[in-house]
Amino acid sequence: MAQRAVWLIRHEPGTSFGGTVRFSRRYPTVEKRAKVFNGSSYVPVPEDGPFLKALLSELRLLGDDKDFVESRDSCSHINKTSVYGLLVGGEELWPVVAFLRNDMIHASVPLVEQTLSPRPPLISISGISQGLELLFGIQDFLYSGQKNDTELNAKLSQLPDLLLQACPLGTLLDANLQNSLDSINFASVTQPQKQPAWKVGTYKGKPQISISITEKVKSMQYGKQDIADTWQVVGTVTCKCDLEGIMPNVTISLNLPTNGSPLQDILVHPCVTSLDSAILTSSSIDTVDDSAFSGPYKFPFTPPLESFNLCYYTSQVPVPPILGFYQMKEEEVQLKITVNLKLHESVKNNFEFCEAHIPFYNRGPITHLEYKVSFGQLEVFREKSLLVWIIGQKFPKSMEISFSGTITFGAKGHNKQPFDHICIGNTAYVKLHFRISDYTLTGCYADQHSVQVFASGKPKISAHRKLISSDYYIWNSKAPAPVTFASLLS
Amino acid sequence: MVGTGRPLAAGKLSASSPCVLGPGLYTPFRRDVTCLLTMGPLNREAWARRLAAFRASPSTFMARAESEDLGLDLLSDLRSDKLSEQTKVSLLALSLEYSDKLWPDAPAAEAAVTSLLDTLILLPPRPSALRRPLLLAATTALVAGGALGPTSEASCRLLPLLLRLASGQDVGRAFGPTAEQHPLQATACECLRELESCKPGLLGSSLGLLRSLLGQMGPVQPLSLLLALVLHNTLVAQSRSGVGLQGLLVAGASSTGGSRWDWTLAEEGDAHLQPQAPSWPTAEEGECGLSILEPSPEEARELRAAVAQLLDTSYLLTPVAQAHLLWLLGWAMRGLRGQLPMLFKPQLVRLLGTAQLTLLHSVLALKATFGEALFTTQDEALLLRRLTLAAQHPALPSPTHLFYLHCLLSFPENCPLGPEGEEAAPLLLGPQLCRGLMPSLLHDPMALLAHLHLLCLLCAEDEEEDKGQAQSPRQFLVELLTGLLQRAALGDGPRALATLCFQATYLTASCLAGQPAILTPLIHGLAQLYQARPSLVPHFVDLLDRVGPELGEPLRKVLWQEVVTRPGPGEALGWHLQMLAEVAEGGAQSATLSFLQATAPHCTDWGLQQALLQVCRALLQTSGGDGLADLLQMLARQLEDPDGRDHARLYYMLLAHLASPKLGVALGPSLAAPALASSLVAENQGFATTLMVQETPAPIQLSVGRQKARGPLPVLRLQVEALEAVYSMELRFCVKGQLYEPLEAIHIPCLCPDRPTHPLYLTLKPRRPAPTQLQVQALYTTTTGLTCHAHLPPLSVNFADLFLPFPQSPKGSELSFFEELWDSCLPKGVESRVWCPLGSQGLETLVSQHLEPFVVVAQPPTSYHIAVHLPPHSMLLLRLEAAQADGVPVAIRTDDWAVLPMAGDYLRGLAAC
Repeated sequence: MAQRAVWLIRHEPGTSFGGTVRFSRRYPTVEKRAKVFNGSSYVPVPEDGPFLKALLSELRLLGDDKDFVESRDSCSHINKTSVYGLLVGGEELWPVVAFLRNDMIHASVPLVEQTLSPRPPLISISGISQGLELLFGIQDFLYSGQKNDTELNAKLSQLPDLLLQACPLGTLLDANLQNSLDSINFASVTQPQKQPAWKVGTYKGKPQISISITEKVKSMQYGKQDIADTWQVVGTVTCKCDLEGIMPNVTISLNLPTNGSPLQDILVHPCVTSLDSAILTSSSIDTVDDSAFSGPYKFPFTPPLESFNLCYYTSQVPVPPILGFYQMKEEEVQLKITVNLKLHESVKNNFEFCEAHIPFYNRGPITHLEYKVSFGQLEVFREKSLLVWIIGQKFPKSMEISFSGTITFGAKGHNKQPFDHICIGNTAYVKLHFRISDYTLTGCYADQHSVQVFASGKPKISAHRKLISSDYYIWNSKAPAPVTFASLLS
Repeated sequence: MVGTGRPLAAGKLSASSPCVLGPGLYTPFRRDVTCLLTMGPLNREAWARRLAAFRASPSTFMARAESEDLGLDLLSDLRSDKLSEQTKVSLLALSLEYSDKLWPDAPAAEAAVTSLLDTLILLPPRPSALRRPLLLAATTALVAGGALGPTSEASCRLLPLLLRLASGQDVGRAFGPTAEQHPLQATACECLRELESCKPGLLGSSLGLLRSLLGQMGPVQPLSLLLALVLHNTLVAQSRSGVGLQGLLVAGASSTGGSRWDWTLAEEGDAHLQPQAPSWPTAEEGECGLSILEPSPEEARELRAAVAQLLDTSYLLTPVAQAHLLWLLGWAMRGLRGQLPMLFKPQLVRLLGTAQLTLLHSVLALKATFGEALFTTQDEALLLRRLTLAAQHPALPSPTHLFYLHCLLSFPENCPLGPEGEEAAPLLLGPQLCRGLMPSLLHDPMALLAHLHLLCLLCAEDEEEDKGQAQSPRQFLVELLTGLLQRAALGDGPRALATLCFQATYLTASCLAGQPAILTPLIHGLAQLYQARPSLVPHFVDLLDRVGPELGEPLRKVLWQEVVTRPGPGEALGWHLQMLAEVAEGGAQSATLSFLQATAPHCTDWGLQQALLQVCRALLQTSGGDGLADLLQMLARQLEDPDGRDHARLYYMLLAHLASPKLGVALGPSLAAPALASSLVAENQGFATTLMVQETPAPIQLSVGRQKARGPLPVLRLQVEALEAVYSMELRFCVKGQLYEPLEAIHIPCLCPDRPTHPLYLTLKPRRPAPTQLQVQALYTTTTGLTCHAHLPPLSVNFADLFLPFPQSPKGSELSFFEELWDSCLPKGVESRVWCPLGSQGLETLVSQHLEPFVVVAQPPTSYHIAVHLPPHSMLLLRLEAAQADGVPVAIRTDDWAVLPMAGDYLRGLAAC
C-alpha cells in the first residue's frame, strides 16, 4: 500500500509540450518492491519528460484531434475510472491514477503488490484509493483559498517539505496537507499520549464553535408533459471548533421544523464517533413518506483543529424554490424567446443576488435584440452571445416575472462564440444563479442550545446558514433536452 | 562549471572503514571525509543549478562525465558550514528520490549510508531540520542500493539506532533537544516500517517490544502502523511455515539490549516479499500457500489483545492510516481460526457513516477477506446501499464516484453467482438502487461510459422483467444512444464526441449482442450518422473491425446500402470509397461494381484512384468474378495516373492467374511497412512476401538412422521431426563433386509436430565407394499458404553406410567362395594388415554389432571371414583371426586400392563406436 511516484502537471494548451511538470516525487524503496512484486510485468517509472507526453496524450490534452489516432480514438479503448495505462517506451505503465482539476493534472502511480498480468481488478489494489486520496489532499491544499498564480507557486514550493511529512517514504500518512504544515510549525510541542494524529497541537484561547450550513439547490426544469422536472438539495455542514484540551467531545444536533424535508444520504467526517442507525439508513433511494426519520440528527465527534465538513446530506424538498418556464422558437432569421420565473411563496424573498443567464451556443454574435422585462435589468454580451437578466434582491409582490424578446445573430466567427455539444439546434437553457443568506430550503438548522460540549469553559456558539443555486437549469420547452432517468420515471 | 576540478580520489568513500557498532553511536570522524571538506563546497546557486539539471533528466545528467561526483559531492556538502540548512534539506530531498541513481550498487549505498549516519551524529546538539531527512535518506539509500542485510555494517548501525529512537530511549545529547525527540521517534518508526516492508521479518523479534511501546506511550499512529505491519508479516510468515507465534508477541526487548540484531526471521521471509494489501483475497484462496494457523489458547489470547489494542486506538489515526491498518490486520487475520474477525465489528458502523475513500475501500477489503464471518446478509445489504449512495453523492468528486462504481461492479458478494473476475452488477443491486446511477448526456465522457456500462449490465439481466414498465431501462438506453449519435453528427464538433459515441456503441454491442430491440435502432442511428458525417469513416472502420457479428454484419449491409445508393459523386467521395472497401462484402457485388464503374470517371486525383483500387482489392479478396475483371481492365486503360493504371493491371493479373485461396493470402495483411511513395511499390513488397519463395529457418530436423544393408544399392534411412506444420514438402539432396549419381527428391504431403512420422528412404548411387556429405534443401508450403524454402544442416554418409553383402553362397561352399574372392583381389588390388583394437568388448560382440550381415565364414569366437560389396564395383575382404584380449589382427584385401585407407580408419574406429 504505497505510491511509486507523484506528479503535478500544469496543463498549458497551445504550448509546445502542452504542459509542464510543476512537481514530481519518486519513491525508490517502493520502486524496489514494485520490481519484485510485478516480476516480468514490471515497467519502471519513467522520467518526467516521457511521462508528461504519454499522460497528456492519454488524457486527450494535446489538442491535436484532427485525425483519427487508433491508440486514442479506438472504440475499444474505454476508460471508466481515473486510472490509466500509459504507453512509455513501448511498454505500458499501469495503473496511473490521474485527473485534471483547475488546469492541473494530478497523477500518481500506486504500487501493486502482485504481478500485473493479468491485470488485477482495481478494487483489489489498496494503493488506488490511497493515491486518489493523496492527490485530493494535494489539490485541497493548493486550491483552498488560493487566488492567483503567485500564491499557487508559493504553495507548490512548500510541497516537497509537506510530502516529507505526509508521505515520507511512499506510504501516505495524512491526506490533510494543511495538518502536515501545522505539524512542521508545531514541532516543538511535546505531544502527550492519545494525541490524535489528525490533530497536531492543542488550541489555547477563548472557546468558540462555529457551525455553518450551506445548501446548494440544483434543478432541471423542462416545461413538458411527459418529462418530470427534478430538483435536489445538497447540504454541507462546516464546523470550526476552537476548544481547549486534547480530545474535547462535542455533539451537534441538526434540527428540522415541523414541515421540514428529511435529510438523506448523510455522509459524516471520520471524526464522528458514532451514528444513529436511522441516520445511516436514511437514503434518497427509498421513497420518502411521513414515517421517514426527521431528526434531530445528532453528531457526536472530537473536532480537529481546522475547519472541517462535519457532514454532507441531500434532501428532496416538495417544490423547487423558483419555478421557471423557457420557450425559444426560431422564426426565419430571428429567435423568439420567452422566460417566466416564479418564486415559491414559502421561500424567503431576500436574495443576496439573483440572475438568469441566457446563453446562445453554436451561433454567431448577437447583432440585434428587442426585449421587454417585467422586472430587473438586462445586460447584453453581444460577442459572447449571452444575455444576463439581473433580477436583484427581491421578486415583486406577485412573485412572478417575465422576459420576452427577439434576437438576431450574425455570422459565426471562428472560435469566438461558445460551442456546446448539448445545445444543438433549439436545445437551449436558462441558468439561474442566486444566493439567500440565513436560510435553508430544507429548513435545517443547528440548534445552538442543543450543542453539547465536554470541555473546559463554555464556548460561544455561532451558527450560519445559506442557500446557493448550483446547476439550476430551465430548458427550452420547444426542443429536446437532456433528460435523466429519474425524470422519465416520475 | 560545477562539479569539475575535484580529484576523483578525494571523493572515494570507503565502505570498509572501521566504525563502532552497538551502543557507541559515535563513529570516529573519518579521514576521507575530512579530505572532502577541504575541497570547498559548491554554493547555494551552483547546487540549485546542478539539482535542476539533474531533475530535468536524470539519465542525461548521469551520462555526463562529471555526474559520477554528484553522489559524493552531495554527501560531503551536507557537512559544509557554508550551506544553509534549507539547501542541505534540498540535497537530502534529491537523495531521497534518486538514491538508486546516485548510489546504484550495494558498496556505494553502504558507503553513502555510513556517511549519512556520520553526518547525523556530527550535527551540533541544537534544533535542526536535517535529522529527520537524514534518517529517511539513510533508510532509502540502504534499501534502494540493495545493501540491507546482516553483513552490511551500515545496516547494523542504522537498525539499532532506529529502534532506539522509535522506543523513545535516550540516545544522547547529539540527537538534538528533547523537543525534537517526538518527530524523530515518529520518523524512526516510519523508517523501520519501510525496512520491514522491504525485508519482512526484520523486526519479527521486536514484536513484543513494539507492543509494549504502543501501550505505554505515543506517538500512536507511527507505532500502530509499524506494529500492525510486523504482526502481519509475522503471521503470514508463520502460516507459510506452519509454526506458531512462538511467544513473539510477549517477548521482551531483546534487540535493543546491545546484542546483535536478530536476522533469522528476515532471512526466512526473504524468499517472498510479502504483499501487505495483496490481491483480492477470494481470488487468491488456496494459491498463496497459507495454511490455516491454529494458535495455542495462550497465543490466541495475546493475539486478540494485540489486535484489539490496535483497533481500539485506531480512531486516533488519520483516515488514510486507519485504512492502512485495516488492510494489514484484515489480511493478517484471514488464515486464523476463531472469533477474531468479530474484533472489527465495532469499527464498522463508524466507518460506514463516512464515505472517505480509503476507509470505505478498506471496509470492502474486510468484506472480501471475511465474507459472512463478518458481514451478515443485512450488513452486506447496508454496505451495498452505502456504496451505491457514495457512488452518486453530489458532495463527492467524480474520480471517487467512478472508483465506487467500479467497486459496485466488482462487489465482493457473500454468495457470488456470476463468473469470477468479470464485472457484473451484484444480485442485491436492483433497478431501484440504480436509479441514481443511470448515465446522462450531461456526464463527462468517462463518467458516461462507466454509467452506461452499468445500464447495459442491467438491461442484459432483466430482459424479461421490465416489459410492463412505461419507461424501461432499455428504452432509456436507446434514447441515450440516439442523443450521443446526434452529438457525434455535429459538423464542427470535437473528435472526442465522435469517439465517445463509438465507444458507447462498442460497449453496448459487447454487453447486449443478443438484443435486437437495442441493436436495430442503434444500426439505424449509425447509418444516419454516416449520412451526416462521412468523415467519421475511420471510426466506422475501427468499430466494424472490433464488434461481433451481431452488430457488425447488419451494420455492414446498411452502410453498404448507404454508399452504393448515393446519388452522384460528392465532396465525400473519398470517404465513401474508404467505407466501401470495408463493407463491400456486405452487399451484392453487381451493385458495388456498377457504383465503382459510375464513380471511376470522377476519380481524378491519385488519392481517389487509390481509394477506388482499395475497393477493388477488397473485392478481389472476397469474391472476384467477371465483372471485376472487366472493371480492372477498364481501370488499367482509363485511369489518368500511371500508378493507378499499374495498380489496376497488377490486380487484373493477380485475378487472372491466382486461385482464390492464394489470392486471399497474397492480398492479406502485408508484412512490409508501406512507407514508400508509391503504394504499388509498397504493395509489391507485400506480394513479394506472399507470392515468392521465401527463405526461412528449417521447419524440420533430419537425422540418419541405422539401416539394414540389403538390395543392390545402399539406402539411407532418414528420421524426420517436424518443428511446425508444413505441407507439400519436397526434400532435395545434392552431393558435392561427382562421387554419386544425382539423388532423387523426396516428397512428403504433410508434416505436423504432434503427429508421428514415417522414416524416409534415400537410395544412394555411388560412382565411387567413398563417404560424403549431402546438402539438403526443403521446399514447402506453410499453413498460411506461403511457399518457403530452407537449408537444412548437411547429412553425413559414412563409409559403413555404403556396405552391401555379397549374395549368399550355397551352404557348405562358403569358405571356398571366400577364398576365391580373396585370391581374385591380387594382383590388381592390394593387401594390408591392421590392428583392430577391441576395447572392452570381445571380438564376437564387435562382429555382431557392426559386421554381422557381411560374415561369410564364422568360427566364433576367434575367427571370421568377412566380405563386403562396395558399390558400384569394389569389394573389401577381411580376415579376423587369432583374437587377443585387447585386439585382433586383421588381414585386408581389396580390389580397389583407394578403399584401403578408409577401411583402415573404419576398423580402428570400431572399438570406439
